[in-house]
Amino acid sequence: MNEQAGTTSGAGMDDAASIADGTPLGITEAAAIMREAGEKARSGLRVSHRTTFTIWGLGLLIGYGAIWLAVRGQRPFHGPDPAAFAVAALLATASVMAGIEDARAESGVGGLSALRRRVAFASVVIGLAGMFAVEGALVHAGAGRPVIGVFEASAPIFVAGLFYLTRSMTRPDWAVAGLGLWLVIVAAVGGFAGPAGAWGVDALAAGLAYLLMAVIDPWVRRS
Amino acid sequence: MNEDGLDPVIHTPARLRIMVSLAALPDGDDLSFTRLQDLIGLTPGNLITHLRKLEDAGYVTTSRNGTGVTARTSVALTHTGQAALERYTAVLRQLLDSAGQG
Repeated sequence: MNEQAGTTSGAGMDDAASIADGTPLGITEAAAIMREAGEKARSGLRVSHRTTFTIWGLGLLIGYGAIWLAVRGQRPFHGPDPAAFAVAALLATASVMAGIEDARAESGVGGLSALRRRVAFASVVIGLAGMFAVEGALVHAGAGRPVIGVFEASAPIFVAGLFYLTRSMTRPDWAVAGLGLWLVIVAAVGGFAGPAGAWGVDALAAGLAYLLMAVIDPWVRRS
Repeated sequence: MNEDGLDPVIHTPARLRIMVSLAALPDGDDLSFTRLQDLIGLTPGNLITHLRKLEDAGYVTTSRNGTGVTARTSVALTHTGQAALERYTAVLRQLLDSAGQG
């Protein structure tokens, strides 16, 4: 049981004598301990989805919004090349911040949850890699800049939507399933706003959806 | 069981905290020794001793993964432990009700 030794004997057993094993414990005190320990464990071990959703919502609103502002007047459309790097950096920062927040709460938790985290991470990486591969194929096939622009705006939202839908299947969560479905719809419909408009539609529709999730998350977790 | 019907293995402040903390995990999850220690606020020696008693009763399991500095000891509530905690909670609730404090 020693963290280093991994056994139930050895260092630390000297403390045993100091343990008041027969400490009288009243029933009200026991109830208070149960309440306090339960709340502490739940709040300490629970991932703050609220923070994660807020980070993503702001990341999308600011990132996609900035690109929309950069490309909305382009005639002909030639894409958000310089701004795209800034947005990619912003979204990467958002994902790192969200990851750190998740890791903080889930640090030390193993078993099925750890396996689910690894599968979720792998699915996002594979989804994004596939997205870039398809974009490469479109360019290779001679797709014009407007087509690539629609794809660049919509595909990440589509991948995120599929990720949430899949996650809600492994761990039933209607709010997350709703977010996933909404993101898929936004990605599909937003593309019809054109290569410039898609960024604006996605920024608002997806960004605000994340922020709404951040607002309702505590209520959803309680119910 | 003690005279109140409360399981004496659980009915101490430290072990009650350990059981309740582990019960907060989703099914199939475990908790590292160090994280459990952070949550409970016991010294390593005290935590080891209490875990040993719970392990002897079949209420928790411990396992060690890895070797050397990467070694990680994890603790999980067993089904027996979960059932014991549920029984303990039910008895405690009855006692509180009968005492008019629930």
